[in-house]
Amino acid sequence: MLNFLDSPNFVSLAALEVGQHFYWHIGSLKVHGQVFLATWFVMAVLIIVSLLATRNIQRIPTGMQNLMEYALDFVRELTRNQIGEKEYRPWVPFIGTLFLFIFVCNWSGALIPWKLIHLPEGELAAPTNDINTTVALSLLVSIAYFYAGFKKKGLGYFAKYVQPTPVLLPIAVLEDFTKPLSLSFRLFGNILADELVVGVLVLLVPLFVPLPVMLLGLFTSAIQALVFATLAGAYIHEALEGHGDEHDEEHA
Amino acid sequence: MFDFDATLPLMAVQFILLVVILNAIFFKPLTAVIEDRANLIRSSQTGAKEGLEQINAITQQYEKELAESRRQYQSVIAKAQADAQKLASDQVAAAQAEAVAQREQATQELSAQKVSAMAELEKQVDGLSQEILNKLLVGV
Repeated sequence: MLNFLDSPNFVSLAALEVGQHFYWHIGSLKVHGQVFLATWFVMAVLIIVSLLATRNIQRIPTGMQNLMEYALDFVRELTRNQIGEKEYRPWVPFIGTLFLFIFVCNWSGALIPWKLIHLPEGELAAPTNDINTTVALSLLVSIAYFYAGFKKKGLGYFAKYVQPTPVLLPIAVLEDFTKPLSLSFRLFGNILADELVVGVLVLLVPLFVPLPVMLLGLFTSAIQALVFATLAGAYIHEALEGHGDEHDEEHA
Repeated sequence: MFDFDATLPLMAVQFILLVVILNAIFFKPLTAVIEDRANLIRSSQTGAKEGLEQINAITQQYEKELAESRRQYQSVIAKAQADAQKLASDQVAAAQAEAVAQREQATQELSAQKVSAMAELEKQVDGLSQEILNKLLVGV
């Protein structure tokens, strides 16, 4: 009686594909088309919602403006908590976009039935379950905090590498590599693992049983977006302050 | 799973583009609105606080004035009552004195009239007795 796994229905409902991509060739370069399609969708959602929210700005917000003001308040608070009252303002767009983009990406992977759109190869999913996306974002965070440090202190920024004691210089240098590495792999691993777990469960027990795991996936996705944005803020704050102390990196 | 290719830089460029676009259409306008609103709320709050302080000051002054005028009118009432009391007792005393004096005068006049009437009567008694005597003697 266990042969239901073989029935074509279920296989097409829940097949796992990892490491297969829908390649586009641009000149001699290869890119992952499915990531770009999903990313464009996410960006379009963010832009359309922003346009709706700011189309008719009222002093007393209603509807979409209310929602987006809530989102803006949230990312402003997040940025202010991390970077501090004095310097947080210019960083709100960057960290806010990080949060909103990752959040919408993750939730689009969990909520939108991408499966219904068939690609010749690979499948549509959250853009954040592709390592290229997460590495791109975390490298941007690295660039951002180097930029913040150099802009604030010029070449004096390098002083923080030998600040408490020159003995820790290797570790301080190593940190600049571990930061983007941990940022990108945390996000990538969490989202990919979440989608795989849901996929495997759907493959095994197609109905209702995977729902709690899917809810957990929604929760994880939101938390990962928050963690990424928070850590980006913390790194920028660290570069601005330069006292070189450790923020806890060991989230989820 | 770990195949890096041109997706990475293109995603970075796309993301920067998204930051720029969202900054223009989302962060800037809504931040302006939120801060405007915060300023409005703060200013109207300080305005209301100032108004409240003014009202409190006015109320205190009013209460002070009220207490002052209450004291004043009470003292005025007390003075007026004392005055009226004094006036009344004065008048009563004067009227009593006058009454006593009038009664005394009346008594004196009365006794004087009595005396004069008695004297006149005595005078008349002499005349009448002479007349009676004459009539009697003529008749005899």
